[in-house]
Amino acid sequence: MARSPATLIAGAVRLAVAAVFVAAGALKAHDPAAFATAVDHYHLLPYPAAAALALYLPWLEMMCGAGVLWARLRLGALNLLLGLCGMFAVALASAWWRRLDIACGCFGAGAGSRPALLLDLVRTLALAAACAVLLGRELRVGAPPDAAGG
Amino acid sequence: MKSNHRIFGRALRQSSVLLVAALVPALLAAVLQPRRPAWSRAQAEAPEVSWPEVAGWSGPVLYVDARPPEAFARRHIPGALSLPESQWEALLPGVIRTWQPGCRVVVYCDNQACGASQSVAVRLRRELGIDQVFVLQGGWNAWREAQPH
Repeated sequence: MARSPATLIAGAVRLAVAAVFVAAGALKAHDPAAFATAVDHYHLLPYPAAAALALYLPWLEMMCGAGVLWARLRLGALNLLLGLCGMFAVALASAWWRRLDIACGCFGAGAGSRPALLLDLVRTLALAAACAVLLGRELRVGAPPDAAGG
Repeated sequence: MKSNHRIFGRALRQSSVLLVAALVPALLAAVLQPRRPAWSRAQAEAPEVSWPEVAGWSGPVLYVDARPPEAFARRHIPGALSLPESQWEALLPGVIRTWQPGCRVVVYCDNQACGASQSVAVRLRRELGIDQVFVLQGGWNAWREAQPH
């Protein structure tokens, strides 16, 4: 059965979104101590909360990235990723606004600077837009009953 | 209306599954991951020192510049070695060659708002096992302001 161009494009976008979040999560899960330092540099959370987030967030990103590819979890995964992107965007924008000269930490440890934060923010907003489009399509087209017993 | 409720319920159930599923490996990582974070900032980060404190130290001090290479090329603390995280692999051997046991390491970046010096200091402590690694409070700006004009 031939698939429509819209279906093919949606599949490609899903694959790209999944790849970005799985890769970002894996890089951070590899070194949660470095990610905790990166989170702490935003000065938005007390240190123990930053450490807990550094342990949890990478796995949530990986689960949601993988969930985007599975129809039975796609709706929940896209909702969570949209929320995460919103949270990342607020953190990045506030760091830029407060003139912090820090690394994004989006893909684990690495060099960063204040100008680079703007590019990171643009990338995050693009990811949020991709998630929003996929979520809109999911709501329009509909999804099969979920894996959580629905 | 009923359909909206169903979709909302499905999204909520699927989100809950993912949120709980991520908790399992996160808890395992908190216990088993060799690079798990410490639970207090004092344990996790390198201590900060002010320039007057450093100036009062006796014994050798190695300055490490965590700013971008262009900033280092423009000006730096005399004797400092450049080690931005972007060139970690290339420049770390030079730091290892220069460092001697008993030598304190002071890492700096631009100012109090930059995080690069803390990241580099933490990596030096962790990857080289050097305990005496400090972060210069106020960084390059603090050092420059302390110099006689």
